[in-house]
Amino acid sequence: MTDVPFLKARSIGKQFGAVTALAGVDVDIRRGEVLALLGDNGAGKSTFVKVLAGAHRPTSGTLEIEGAPVELASPQDAAAAGIATIYQELALSENLSVAENVYLGRESVRRILGVPILKRAEMRRRVDELLAELDAHIPDPDLPVGGLSGGQRQAVAICRALNLDARLVIMDEPTAALAVAETRKVLSLVRNLAGRGCAVVLVSHNIADVFEVANRMVVFRRGAKIAERRRDETTPEEIVAFITGAHPSLRSLEHLG
Amino acid sequence: MLAKLAQRIGGRELTLLAAVVAAAVVFASLSPVFLHPNNVYAIIRNSTELMLIGLGLTFVLAIGGIDVSVGMILGIAAIAIGNLLLAGVDPWLAALAGPLVGLALGAFSGTVIVLGRIPAIVATIGLLGVYRTTIFALLGGSWLSGLPSSLSEIFAARIAGVIPTSYIVIVVAYAAAFVVLRRTPFGLHLLAVGNAEERARLSGVAVRKVRIAAYMVSGALCGIAATFYIANYRNVEMTVGSTVALDAIAAVVLGGTSILGGKASLLGTALGVLLIRMLQNGFTIVGLPSLWQPVVTGVLLLLALTLERAAVAGLFRRLGGLVAARRTA
Repeated sequence: MTDVPFLKARSIGKQFGAVTALAGVDVDIRRGEVLALLGDNGAGKSTFVKVLAGAHRPTSGTLEIEGAPVELASPQDAAAAGIATIYQELALSENLSVAENVYLGRESVRRILGVPILKRAEMRRRVDELLAELDAHIPDPDLPVGGLSGGQRQAVAICRALNLDARLVIMDEPTAALAVAETRKVLSLVRNLAGRGCAVVLVSHNIADVFEVANRMVVFRRGAKIAERRRDETTPEEIVAFITGAHPSLRSLEHLG
Repeated sequence: MLAKLAQRIGGRELTLLAAVVAAAVVFASLSPVFLHPNNVYAIIRNSTELMLIGLGLTFVLAIGGIDVSVGMILGIAAIAIGNLLLAGVDPWLAALAGPLVGLALGAFSGTVIVLGRIPAIVATIGLLGVYRTTIFALLGGSWLSGLPSSLSEIFAARIAGVIPTSYIVIVVAYAAAFVVLRRTPFGLHLLAVGNAEERARLSGVAVRKVRIAAYMVSGALCGIAATFYIANYRNVEMTVGSTVALDAIAAVVLGGTSILGGKASLLGTALGVLLIRMLQNGFTIVGLPSLWQPVVTGVLLLLALTLERAAVAGLFRRLGGLVAARRTA
């Protein structure tokens, strides 16, 4: 049954009051594949990602995970379904340590007289292992995240996803604020994640990054999915044309808009 | 070794400790009464309620909240305990009524703030009015007095001449709060919510539950404070708790807990309470009318906030929220 996609989104729509942020979006997400979501600001890709992450409830449409319908009413639901999201702003707590951030929301505890007490040593050890695996150059998991660089924070967020045993990792603009060397590292990590059999959804503005790692690309425009291409059947020029609305196939749509 | 210890304790806490010692030296040199065991006992006893209410407010400020109605929660809980004692209920059961009433009021306040999506400063100013009128109504315009001394015998007895027995409970409460804040998921969640609610939510923290729980902890501690209030004073007057919020917020902020949330210091709160009560006592002894006490506290609060410039900006944001809420009303 490996040809069943990990996640199937059908006719996903999202209204914010009178504003239609998403309409009729169909997307399949497969294990071991990096799927890039592209589109201009406000095209709907972030809204779609938030639906997958359980942060927004879709107004219409259905989601299936491994063939079974699911409702992702909260980030906890999404996490339980094996979906981990790494947000652009990373959703890290600067005042907490690296280890605390990696475990936040699903801490390991032992119960003493019924009170859940954090297993700090175990959490620290596990995070140390993950950081070493990633070659993350963070010397001490007890350091507060507030003092880390952009790339280091990205590594903490990725550790968090790995620690969740995520089967689908969503990364929102992971390279946006990074220096070149750090971007290389994060892109190689994206490939490693897919190599482990993880499904990866990458949201990015950077066409070069996308062509380097993505197997498939989906382009959003004005809340709708307007194109889907495998990397080997498209070019950066064509994708840019879709994003900007200049592609010939879009002419009729643009006139309607 | 000493430097490492200092680092563990924290710069703010050491500064406060130095301020406490300095204040003691100054007042002792100005008046022989200041260090008399009875006066030391008075300072420590007068700190009792504030120690607990400050502890609760440390949790509330840690999530980036605030509660200016804490004194009224103390008052309502004290009236409940007083009436139970007058009705001849066992003092231990009456003592237990304090935290129960406080917990219920804290749950109510927290629910109003969180589910009503009202800025905490606005909501608790509203609740302050509601609770104060409740106190007037419950007291019927007179004092609740002539209470039996049963709770005093339990909690106001002296240890080593200067420490009331209620401090056994206070020490246990601080130790428990330390474990909760530093060693449990709830503690992490409090600090994560205080840092940035949306991020905490995206990380899987049940933000609303955590926020309501913080107000419940604060309410319950106000209730325990009410039990000791009755033990110490054996009456409840109409103006009960009216300066408590100012004193408690000043103590907590002075202690290094951030008014912006995300940072909490329990030792700082305890030292902040002690410093405020020492100054109030000392100024009274050297002849400053007690009318001026809120000025001393207010100045301390402003001083503490100025020390933390970012925190001042945060307070202005909240006051800005208050102004905005008024404008739309």
